[in-house]
Parts: sequence; structure tokens; C-alpha cells
Amino acid sequence: MKTLLKSIADPQRSLWKNISLFFLLMGPGIITSNVDNDAGGITTYSLAGAQYGLKLIWSLIPIMVSLIVVQEMCSRMGVVTGKGLQDLIREKFGAKITFYLMIGMFLTNMGNVISEFAGVAAGMEVFGVSKYIAVPISAVLVWAMVVKGNYKSVEKVFLVACVFYVSYIITGVIVKPDWGEVLDHFIHPNLSLTPAETTMVIGLVGTTIAPWMQFYLQASIVEKGIRIENYKYARWDVIMGSIVVHVVAFFIILACAETLYKNGVQIETAKDAALSLAPLAGSYCTYLFAFGLVNASLFSASILPLSTTYLICEGLGWETGIDKKFVEAPEFYGFYSLMIFLGAGIILLPGMPLIDIMYLSQVINGIVLPVVLVFILLLVNDRKLMQKHVNGTAFNVVAWLTTLVMIALSLVLLVQSL
Amino acid sequence: MTTPSKDFYFFSELLNRRIYTPEGECLGRIVDLAVDWVDPYPLVIGLLVRRGSADAKAFLHWSCLNRIAPQLTFSPAAAVGRMTSPGPDTVYLREQVLDKQIVDTFGAKVVRVNDIQFLRLHSQLRLVHFDVGLRGLMRRIGWEPGLAAALRWMFAYEWPDTFIGWKYVHLLSGSGPLQLSVSQKKLAQLHPAELADILEDLSGHDREAIFHALDAETAAETLEEIDDPKLQQALIETVSIDKASDIIEEMSDSDAVDLLADLPQATAQEILEEMEEDRAEDLRELLVHPDETAGGMMTTALLSLSPEETVEATLKRWKEEEPELDVLYYIYVVDPEGVLLGVVSMRELLVASAQQRLREIQTSRLITAKLDAREDEVVELLTKYGFRALPVVDDQERLKGAVRLRSVLEILAPSAG
Repeated sequence: MKTLLKSIADPQRSLWKNISLFFLLMGPGIITSNVDNDAGGITTYSLAGAQYGLKLIWSLIPIMVSLIVVQEMCSRMGVVTGKGLQDLIREKFGAKITFYLMIGMFLTNMGNVISEFAGVAAGMEVFGVSKYIAVPISAVLVWAMVVKGNYKSVEKVFLVACVFYVSYIITGVIVKPDWGEVLDHFIHPNLSLTPAETTMVIGLVGTTIAPWMQFYLQASIVEKGIRIENYKYARWDVIMGSIVVHVVAFFIILACAETLYKNGVQIETAKDAALSLAPLAGSYCTYLFAFGLVNASLFSASILPLSTTYLICEGLGWETGIDKKFVEAPEFYGFYSLMIFLGAGIILLPGMPLIDIMYLSQVINGIVLPVVLVFILLLVNDRKLMQKHVNGTAFNVVAWLTTLVMIALSLVLLVQSL
Repeated sequence: MTTPSKDFYFFSELLNRRIYTPEGECLGRIVDLAVDWVDPYPLVIGLLVRRGSADAKAFLHWSCLNRIAPQLTFSPAAAVGRMTSPGPDTVYLREQVLDKQIVDTFGAKVVRVNDIQFLRLHSQLRLVHFDVGLRGLMRRIGWEPGLAAALRWMFAYEWPDTFIGWKYVHLLSGSGPLQLSVSQKKLAQLHPAELADILEDLSGHDREAIFHALDAETAAETLEEIDDPKLQQALIETVSIDKASDIIEEMSDSDAVDLLADLPQATAQEILEEMEEDRAEDLRELLVHPDETAGGMMTTALLSLSPEETVEATLKRWKEEEPELDVLYYIYVVDPEGVLLGVVSMRELLVASAQQRLREIQTSRLITAKLDAREDEVVELLTKYGFRALPVVDDQERLKGAVRLRSVLEILAPSAG
């Protein structure tokens, strides 16, 4: 221990110092990003690949830049203020705005939770397990894990499980893509503004940059207690996380483009994608794909309801904490249980219009996101709050541009869905 | 001032209200209230008014108010001359209190302010309650009248308010000297375990502000009650080396050592150098032992005496040293080399006659742990024999310290917090 401390403190070994500090502080960014690659994300990426081949793959680059810009602001706010995003919004913008924002967050995240359980159902069906068995078991597991178990260690298990996203990368390599062509699509971005294609691009943006992520990331940063001197390591964590998301997204699109698109297979869900891979790329590709889907869905299903409950209860000033008893924090447990059992229950109802529900939640997502982005920008530029850590001019230009594009895209989506 | 219609006002009713001149001309809207943070109840001294959409705000002194109902009316002529700038103990309610977190020192928890209630006394408004309940939140959003009426009509249910009296509130954003002294008095009424819970509930600067407001002794006791070593470390790193050493000096050996071991070595060294020589020496010795062994869990603040000591002299010594001792219930009997010969409990000491010697009353069938005994062995011995402290010896059976039952409580009942 002594020698370790010495080596960290030794200025000549600053590279080691930097690397060890990075590993100490990493986590929030990478976890947030991996939760982001959830059932909805995988479905959207599969559809993009299957319907448009590699045509839209260039859009991952600007989406990644936007994600980094937005998440960097949130993590900076978390480090400087030591408060969650919902606390800052409540304190600056008041009870009324916060209340309606929380209703919006509840609705959009409820939609996300439903789609996570749909992802569990779809993934397990590929393995031949009925959704009437898979969904109730996973709902009870997720619920019990937080209420009865130790949430932090569960988070670590899932972080390790993130390694299984490699399954998508393997799938993408197995299908032997023409790398020259892939590169060409990045260098010559191409978008014909047909309504269907615009919707797909908006879908890609919407599934990658979600309102809940910003709340969740900032909360994790605050909980980690990162100090401003060490902020640069947290920043790397956020950037790394955003890159990882997009690498995984890239390989999902690639796998689907090289197989399904080239053979003209039409799919509607991630499950279709997994099943259609079998005749084209071998059955192990199907299982890899389905396994990734189940893992991603379970990971997100265990984090989304909890983080939503935290942010609503904190924003509205209710008692929170999984170490509290039910009578001490009834709203907290009430919301949490409601989200999980309603989310799982809806999947099991026969004849539920699942596609419509998920679409609706995407629309609410689109309405809430610009509001949250504007709040983030106003807060991060508040000198009283951020002191000298407000955005620089160049950064502000990029951030506002990102926000305006997001608002424009959301408006287009909204208009189209009406 | 003509008679207004009621005695209690909510901040939510006043915020954003238009105010008028006696001639009926609109002066602007209320954007904030300034109160003087004093006993017995904070007094509203003025309001900030914004005109139109301009950013400039004007301060209107409360004494210029003509009447509250039916509309807030001011005499601007009087107001112009009375633009007194607020003092250091002025609190702006919208800016510093509303929607912010406060510490409820009665319930010992952190809550968020949804609304603020004032009482009208003569022609003045005094702050009496903070509303932290759902009803206050709904009042802010504008749903309260409808919901309250619906509850009454449907279930004959009177919706209760959740108020906290001003006396029991500690502001997290207060910074004036008087505010701080009022706050310290309020915080001092809390048990360290409650303070620890509050610190765990808070984040960042609020947490530091509270921790800094505590005196060294309370801070030490509070740190001992915090279970999360990372939080302990984060808190101690926010105070100066000077204060940190004062605080750690007040902590029990085992807690102090645990904390020092978690700090970066350079910081720990600096803190130790600031301490009293003897204490620093003890702590350095303890730091050598790994955390999860008897040596790392023990305290050295105990009373060890020669077997020839009389009961009377022992009690006298005990009384003198009591403030410094961690192990109060046992007196350890050692030979000149420090080898443990026996243990005398307080109970045995009190029932013995004054001139008896310790060797006559000591228990010499000894249950001890070695310095490198594992945590679970120590816990097993302590619980099996029901001791309050277990003596720790080295290979030559010399007494090195004792592990208190208290320090293994966290291992025994982790869920009890």
C-alpha cells in the first residue's frame, strides 16, 4: 500500500498516476452510455442498417459529437455544484416548471421501461423462452435487486456484462464487410430528404441522446464525489463512454446492412433482425445478437426505473433512498414499483399496441429533450452557479447549435407524428 | 394601513403579485421578499420589485406599504427615500430559501421548501413556517384549491399541511455572522448520529458548509457516525490541516486510525505532525496494523495498572483519566513489562472494599486476541463472551490495546446504519 501511494505521488511517474486516477474515477460516463444502448437503441440501429444499408452510417459522427458536448456539460455541472440536474432545475426555475417537467420525464421513461421489457421478451423468445415466463421473472428480479439487495454491486455486475456488447462487434466482423465501402460512406455522407429517411435519422438521434441520461449521468458524477482538480479524468470517462456507444451502434448497423439489407430482408423489430441473421450469417450470430439484446434490456430495465424515481422524488422534495423503509419513503417505493410492474404488465397484456406505445414515448421524448437541453445550457452558463467553469464562447456556439438542431429535429418528428 | 382580511399569508400568494400606487398605477411585480433573520420570528423588511421585463429590480421598504387587500398598495414617494441597502443578515426568500433544501433540525432530516407562511402582526409580516408538504407544492403549481375542495367533497378529508417552525430550520445558504451563530445553536441540538444522516443526505457545498459549522468535538463525533469511509475522507479533506488534526484528535483511536489510513499518505503525515506528540505517536503505532485485524480495530485509550494498586487509588485514577479513555468498563492489570495479568470490571471494582488490591479481585482467566487476529475472530470472541471490550496482546502476551464492542457493531449489524 505504501509503495503504491508513493508511486502515485511520485511526479516522475505521472503517466501511471494519470492512468490509475482515470480508472479510479471512471464509471459514470461509461455506465450511462451503455445503458443508452438499450432495447430501443438496438432496434433503431438494426432497422437503420436493414432498411438503408450503410447509407446513414455517417450520421453517427455528428451524433457522437453532440452527445459528448451535452454530457460534458452535465458532468461539469455535477462536479462544480455537487448537485443533481433536477435539484438545479428546481432551485433555479421553481416548483411549477419542475413539476410539469417531472410529469414529462415520468411518461417518457415509462415508455422506455416498457420497451426494455419488450426487449427482454423479444430476446428470450429467440432462445425459445415464452415472454410469460421471461418478463415476470425479470421484473421481480429487477425489483427485488434494488429493494432487497445491494444496488451498487448489481451495477458492477452489469458493467462487467457490458463486455458482452463485444458480441455485436464479433457479429459485425463475422459477416465480412467490405471495409473500403464502409470508409467511403463515412467520407461521402449522403442523405436524401425523404420523410422515411429523415424519420430514421431523427430516430437515431433520439435514441442516442435521451433526457434521462443527462439526469442519470450528473447524479452518478455527484455521487462519485469527483473534485474539480480531477475533473479532466471524468471528462475522459464521458468521452470514452460516448465513443463506446457509437462503436457498438456502428457494428449493429454494419451487421444488419451487410446481411439483411444486401439480401433485401425486411424486418420490423430487433427480434426479426436476430432471427433473419441465422440463414445469412449462421445461427451463432442470431444467438449473439439476442444475447446482447437481453443483456442490454435487463441492464437498462434495472437502472431506468430507479434513476427516474430518484429524480422525480428529489425534484419534488420527497424522501428518497433504498436504505429507507417503505413508510419513510412511500412515494419513492410507490413510483419505483409502479414503473417496473406497470412496464412489465403492459408487455404481458394480449393485444397491447406495443409499437404505438413505443412511438408515443419517442414523441414525448422529443418534446422533453429540447426543454432539458435549454435548461442545461441556461444553468451551465449561470455564473453564480458555475463561477469560472461556465461554457467558453466556442463551446457555447457548438452547444447551442447542437441544441437548436435537436429542437428542429424534434419539431419535425412531432409534426410528422401528428 | 387598513385592516387586511386575514392573518396568515403564503409566499406563493405574494410572489409575482402586482403592486400599485394609491392612484392605481402599477409599479411592477414582486420578485422577492427580504427578511431580517432574527429571533423570535424573521421580519419582512422589504420587497424586490421588477418593472416590466427589465432586469433592474427596485427595493421597496416594507414600511411604505399602505395596504395588502384588495391590492398591494405602496406610496412610492415614501419608498424613494427609503432604499436602504439590506444588511448582512438579510435573507432573500426566493433567492436563498424557496425551492432550496433546508435542514429540519426537529425531524433531523433534509427537506425542500415548497412554500413559506407568514403571520401578520400589527402592520408587519413575520415568517413563521416553512411548508415542505405536498399541499404546499400543489399551491405553488396552482392545483391546491381544486384538489383540497375535491378531497373535502369526496372523502370529507381535510388536507393537512406539513409545516416546520422557523425555530427548527437551518438554512444551507445562510452566510451572515448572525445567521451562522443561530444555525450553530440549532445544529448543536442534534445528536451526532443525526448530523451524520443529514450529511449523508446532502451533497457538495451544502455538506461542507454544515461540516465547517461544527466545532471540533461535534465534528469528530459526527465523523465517527458516518459509515462511508469515502465520505469521511471527502469531508476531512475540505478543512484545513490544522482543523483536521484538531478533529481527528477528538476521535477515538480506532476511528482516527481508519480515517488516517484512508487519506493520502502525505496528508496523513501533515495531520499527525500538527497533533499532540503523545497522541500522534499512539496513532502512528496503530497505523502499522492492517485495518481488518485486531491491531487495526483496537484503541489504546485504556487504563492499565499494576496488580498492587488499591481499589481506592484505581477509582481515583479512573476519574482523572476518564475524559481521555475509550474503554471505560475495564481496568487492565499488567506487570512492569506490560504483560497482561488480569482484568477488573467496573462492577467488580465498585463492589470491592477500598483497600483491596487489584490482584485480589482480578479475573485471571484471560480471553485475549493477538494483534494479527482477523476481524471475524474478534467479533466472535466479543459476542461469545459478551464483553464490552476485548484486550489485544502481542506474541509476548503484552497488552497493546483493546477492541470495543462499539467498533464491531457495524460489522455485526450493517443494516442498522
